[in-house]
Amino acid sequence: MSQTRRSLIAAAVGGALAVSAPAFAQAPSGKLVLYTSQPEKDAAQTTAAFKKAYPNVEIEIFRSGTTEVMGKLAAEISAGQPGADVLLIADAASMEILKGQNQLLAYPGAKTDGLQEGSFDKDKTYFGSKLITTGIAFNTAAKEKPASWNDLTNPALKGQISMPSPLYSGAAAIMLSTMTARPDLGWKLFEGLKANEAVAVRGNGAVLKSVATGEKAYGVLVDFMAFNAKKQGSPVEFVFPKEGAPAVTEPVAIVKTTKNEAAAKAFVDFILSDDGQKLALSMGYIPAKPSIGSPAWLPEGTKINVMPSDIAAVVKATEADKARFATMFGN
Amino acid sequence: MSRADAATLRTRVEETGLLWGLVGLVALLSVLPIGRLIVEGLAPGGQLSATALGKVMASPTTWTATANSLVTAICATVLATLIGGTVALLATLTDIRARNAFTFCFVLPLMIAPQVTALAWLQLFGPSSTLLKLIGMAPPLGSRNPLYSREGIILLLGLQYAPLVFLTLRAGLRALPKELIEAGLAVGASPLTVLRTVVLPLMTPPLVAGIALCFVSSLGNFGIPAFLGIPGNFLVLPTLIYQRLAGLGPGLLSEVAILSLLIGLIAMVGILLQDLMLRRRDFRITTTSSAARPFELGRWRRPVEIGLWSFAILVLAMPFFGLVSTSLIPAFGVPLNARTATLANYAYVLMEHAASKRAFVNSFLMSAGAATAIVLICVPLGYFIVWKKSRALRLLNLAAELPYAMPGVVLAIAAILLFLKPLPLIGVSLYNTIWIILFAYLARFLVLGLRPVVSGYLQVDRTLEEAAQIAGAGLPRRLVTVIFPLVAPAAVAGALLIFLTAFNELTVSALLWSSGAETLGVVVFSFEQGGDSTYASALATITVLVTVCLMASTTLFAQRLPQGVLPWRD
Repeated sequence: MSQTRRSLIAAAVGGALAVSAPAFAQAPSGKLVLYTSQPEKDAAQTTAAFKKAYPNVEIEIFRSGTTEVMGKLAAEISAGQPGADVLLIADAASMEILKGQNQLLAYPGAKTDGLQEGSFDKDKTYFGSKLITTGIAFNTAAKEKPASWNDLTNPALKGQISMPSPLYSGAAAIMLSTMTARPDLGWKLFEGLKANEAVAVRGNGAVLKSVATGEKAYGVLVDFMAFNAKKQGSPVEFVFPKEGAPAVTEPVAIVKTTKNEAAAKAFVDFILSDDGQKLALSMGYIPAKPSIGSPAWLPEGTKINVMPSDIAAVVKATEADKARFATMFGN
Repeated sequence: MSRADAATLRTRVEETGLLWGLVGLVALLSVLPIGRLIVEGLAPGGQLSATALGKVMASPTTWTATANSLVTAICATVLATLIGGTVALLATLTDIRARNAFTFCFVLPLMIAPQVTALAWLQLFGPSSTLLKLIGMAPPLGSRNPLYSREGIILLLGLQYAPLVFLTLRAGLRALPKELIEAGLAVGASPLTVLRTVVLPLMTPPLVAGIALCFVSSLGNFGIPAFLGIPGNFLVLPTLIYQRLAGLGPGLLSEVAILSLLIGLIAMVGILLQDLMLRRRDFRITTTSSAARPFELGRWRRPVEIGLWSFAILVLAMPFFGLVSTSLIPAFGVPLNARTATLANYAYVLMEHAASKRAFVNSFLMSAGAATAIVLICVPLGYFIVWKKSRALRLLNLAAELPYAMPGVVLAIAAILLFLKPLPLIGVSLYNTIWIILFAYLARFLVLGLRPVVSGYLQVDRTLEEAAQIAGAGLPRRLVTVIFPLVAPAAVAGALLIFLTAFNELTVSALLWSSGAETLGVVVFSFEQGGDSTYASALATITVLVTVCLMASTTLFAQRLPQGVLPWRD
């Protein structure tokens, strides 16, 4: 009895108790497999919190880098048996491609009210769970204090900039296509970066290392990584550039072949619920629901100017953009 | 039928059974995954299509990366051979002191993951270098690191794989009889002449085996070119494959498969060259019980010792020091001093993080299991390849190279394609269990055991084994009592290579692990990716220390082993 009551309450909290859908009168149960590219700690917290809300669901998890997760999924799709029920991966472009391959299940009943404008797919196949913006980090020993993207082309910064390579990082590829599509930045910015001898490294982790150790003074980096490192004592500062910060949303989606649709929907509900959003906030991310608040590292009253991104256009342009980037930064 | 006939028949059956069993096993481990990749590359979804092939062949990037791969692999192999070969000769044939300790230290860098080594060297030459700051030579903030270049990649690959040449050559040198060298010296030849005319010609098999392993390892290495090549946009095949994999989109797996087969082809050419080098010559030595150590360095002894130890310390201690110092700070970029030093990272990975402990046990069992299984496969395999000249196995000997040459990610993809569906006949699925990782390890590291063992056979004279055969010992018995002891030094060197490589590997298990079947590499990688490099370093440090303890403890049991089996024990 208490068991049922608890899961009913949990379901209510999770927003899964849609009055009009009798299918949810029973709490979801059974096995649910999640593929995610969240950092280790966050992934463990997410699954633990979900387990608490839905004690009857046995959640299993595969965690790796976005490239590895997508590679595994591609191999499984090719063998005709995707192993995941739900995905929680870094960027909307990957989701958009999966959607194009007809691998995602639309969930029209998902509660999207209160979510940031444009953070979810209009066909309700994937939903942004948080906002991870990219700005400029710099070592506290750096001489300049860049405030805008175009400041990175200032000759005083020559040879001191690192950035994640769009050829290896999905988020960086979105950033590239978003920025080059804007008239005030465009390819001119990247030509300036090239002239300033900026180096592209494999991922955000490598950028953080090079800025924190002083190997490079300035780096293009995701917000939470810079602030978490700063909190632990790394000598780094972070600014949201004037022109806006490109963002990825770490979307959640249901795989079309799922054998446990009820639990998969419950997972999406949980991620988008106030509780799930508070969890993202407690991990130091900006939640997709502005009403939930903003993380402690964000100075009170900061209005982040998020650079809008047309994902469909990005997916179309990305191949050509990456090729152009490779030639430009090639040796 | 007389009793003798029956015995001959039994021997025949035993031999044929063993031979075909081996053929089946090696085909399963090397031909099957490669075959599956060929299908994926040329007929994705069961439809023949040359789209991916055309796309890959038409792309200029493919050929740039291929050229770069060839240049870096060849130069790194030359460098590793010079370093590893010289060190092995000095440490085995001369009278320097503390040779066991030195051997031990020289093998250890294999333990440290390539990306850790790369980072340590980058820091050494970078503006934040503690060492350069001490001597006031640190470059200004933001200056370009000289290691971000083709030469940097070659240097680090060469240093990373010098122990491979060192180990295989050392195993071979242990079998070198004293008498030959003494005879040479007695007729008045100088030590260098003896080295050139007696030692090196006899050492061709292990040297060639070491060179071949180095070449294939450098060709397939992802960690070092990823770290040093991406900033300068210097592409090699493994990084190009990874780049394609990150690019998503349809047809991606086919392209990745074709690029991997390209690496495989290059590796095969390397092996054919190796066969040519070993042909038409006889390298057999009748083993003696005492290892040669006749060269006395005299007044050169001290300078040589200082040189060798400085080199070992530079190559081993430096990356290790980088690891330890990162594991003791609260965050990257915080200077390490008495006030900032903390053991919190160790506490977290040992106490709080459940997966770390599991990963330790998993990695240890799987590496030890893979090393043991591969040696058990390779000893009879080498027998049929070298002494029985079995044609089928000689071809498979080529194929064994492929799963090791291609990036681990690709082998993992092949394993997924093969084992996702339950196995036919028994209906059990290996997928998402520890067994799929073990399969991939066996496939990938087979060649690391096979090369040293084959070179061991080339060096051993068959007379003892033939004597046992005439005395009526069957093949299984001969393998256990005569053959294995003869090739044991080479086999153990191979097992050690496999254990050290598998214990830290990441690229294979990154796609194949599942909850409960984590490996150490996966956990370290997970920490790294979340920006928790301090945890990653703590875990890696513990790994190195545990391995050192394990290797050292084998020395205690070594009293019972025949001489020359343990590489770090005379």
